[in-house]
Amino acid sequence: MGPADISDATASSPLGRTSPIVKLVVALGWLIGLAFTTDPRPPVAIVVVAIASGVVLGRVEITRLIRTILPLGLAAIGIGAFNVLFSASNLDETATELARLGPLRITSAAVAGGLGLGLRVLAIASVGAVFSLTTDSTRLVDALAQQARVPERFAYGALAAYQAVPRFGEDLTTLRQARRVRGLRGSWHPRILVGLLILAIRHGDRLALAMDARAFGSGPRSRYRIVTWRPLDAVVAVGAVIVLVVALRLPAG
Amino acid sequence: MVGPSGSGKSTLALAIAGLVPREIPGTISGSLRLDAAEIRSIDPPALASRVGIVFQDPASQLVMERVADDVAFGLENRGWPRERMVARVPESLAEVGLAGLELHRSTRLSGGQQQRLALAGVLAPQPRVLVLDEPTANLDPAGAAAFFARLAGLRASRSATIVLVEHRVDAAWPLADQVLALNGDGSPIDAGSPAEVLDRSRARMVEAGIWMPDEPARGRRRRLQTLGDTLVEAAGVGFGYDRRSPVVNDVDLALAAGERVALVGPNGSGKSTLGRLLVGLLAPQRGRVLMRGDDPSRLPAAELARRAGYVFQEPERQFLADRVADEVALGLRPDELALVADLMDRLRLPLETFGDRSPYRLSGGEQRRLSLACVLVRRPALLVLDEPTFGQDRLGHEALIAILDERLVSGTCVVAATHDERFVADVADRVIVVDRGRIVSDGPWQAAG
Repeated sequence: MGPADISDATASSPLGRTSPIVKLVVALGWLIGLAFTTDPRPPVAIVVVAIASGVVLGRVEITRLIRTILPLGLAAIGIGAFNVLFSASNLDETATELARLGPLRITSAAVAGGLGLGLRVLAIASVGAVFSLTTDSTRLVDALAQQARVPERFAYGALAAYQAVPRFGEDLTTLRQARRVRGLRGSWHPRILVGLLILAIRHGDRLALAMDARAFGSGPRSRYRIVTWRPLDAVVAVGAVIVLVVALRLPAG
Repeated sequence: MVGPSGSGKSTLALAIAGLVPREIPGTISGSLRLDAAEIRSIDPPALASRVGIVFQDPASQLVMERVADDVAFGLENRGWPRERMVARVPESLAEVGLAGLELHRSTRLSGGQQQRLALAGVLAPQPRVLVLDEPTANLDPAGAAAFFARLAGLRASRSATIVLVEHRVDAAWPLADQVLALNGDGSPIDAGSPAEVLDRSRARMVEAGIWMPDEPARGRRRRLQTLGDTLVEAAGVGFGYDRRSPVVNDVDLALAAGERVALVGPNGSGKSTLGRLLVGLLAPQRGRVLMRGDDPSRLPAAELARRAGYVFQEPERQFLADRVADEVALGLRPDELALVADLMDRLRLPLETFGDRSPYRLSGGEQRRLSLACVLVRRPALLVLDEPTFGQDRLGHEALIAILDERLVSGTCVVAATHDERFVADVADRVIVVDRGRIVSDGPWQAAG
């Protein structure tokens, strides 16, 4: 995974302009809220709201959003199914039996538990995907430094390192090819991992040298891009609280 | 600043920028002053506002995602007020010919543009001294020419002292008011105006292996009258790391034993990918590659290594051992091991001196020669070399040419992806021009103009 590209349409959309800190807090708040319920309906509501707001308020293409959610979505199905099949309540004689798969008794409690868990993983995937597809990494780091008061040396250092993520894949490919063309077998030989580590450290050293040569960390910094709180941030925050409260109190049936 | 590979040019450049010994440990003897103050004793922020440095590799100097943000980065670090930054950023971009690209992502720029962006970032705070350590080493001829054109403009404005370390002497010497020539051991050969230095010390510079500005390419000395049979054949080959954007497209190519082929074309045109397809390090997604009847991407590693050798563009990415002696001996048969010492001597990496060193601790030019040695020692029938003369002085260049010439008799086919026009003139019989993944021309080498 390299730095995500957010489109111009997304950058100028309401969610794109919302402070990344607000989005981060909303995402965490929603996920913590979901931890207090085993009811399958609140996570479904959060998934629907997250996808809808990503498309409508964030102008993210629906296909791109779904492609991003898909891998974790499949994991959600796997986790849910595993918990349905191997739930402890399946062994409980007094529990209501819902179905029987050969020797395996499936109880309604197991289905509810597995469904709740799978849907919560799906909710995490959806909220995470909307966050990453509507958040420019530079804006995120600016907001972390200016609004969340994260130390700048750490924030901008992390951003610079993040730019280098695609390099690791190229390093790995080249090291493996270098072994092969010299007649050595084994594309997961431990030496390759040593090589990767050395290359990562050396790249980090060079980057740090270039940053220090440009006076990074030499004194108080000024700011080229100013991040300020805006009414939009409050609107998104309040809206998110309402969504969570409503989701948790959805009427039964 | 000129000198053979490993003569300490980069170290001196880093010392002028105050990074040696502050960031890179070492000891300095003697005196190195900026405006009468010892550079060592100037505190980092004060020094950084007076000296700027541009390194070889553009990718490891760009910090921010977008062009304007990266230029502003150095100004923010120095605490410039925002209004001044807003005015200065577009100005610096215009100085390097990148006006209008403020919001572009730096990773999407070409290598040449990235290097000019690095220059803009260093120029923005208006340093008194600008240090450039082989800034065009990674660039194609067009990118290097554009960079030198900007440098000529800076020189004309006389706004900063420029210290340039450069192997491309034809472009660099005419820009210099003074030349400092270093010997292999890092001691000075001569310093003075270019004309004086050439006049006084030409013989000693030539002996040290330094490129001279008026040196013509020598041209091919030996060639085979008739080429051997076909060694590798590519038919309709296509490849893309992302299937939707192919890097190599519809390539048809036959290489004969004994042939000398130059693959040329701009950065990012697909030369390296094509080279990896030819030796089976990548399997084509469309079409096929055959090496004497076999698909090289399916050959067992040991068999592939007997038939083909590949030198990667970045030496560091292919090192697999902790010592130079182990690196060059990796995977060799006993009979090949006997050839190591002689080859290393010829490439000026004698094992007595270099054997115990770490490959990562060598200079750029030395790393390149070590990576060549690792492949040349095997004597495969096909050699694919990606930028084989990167960072080489004249001795390195000549040693490589001599070794390749000896391999003619045994019918070794050499394919070199290169920006080095002199190397092409000295080695190639055939020049293949690649652009956007396609072969746009393929014919015998002819002297330009």
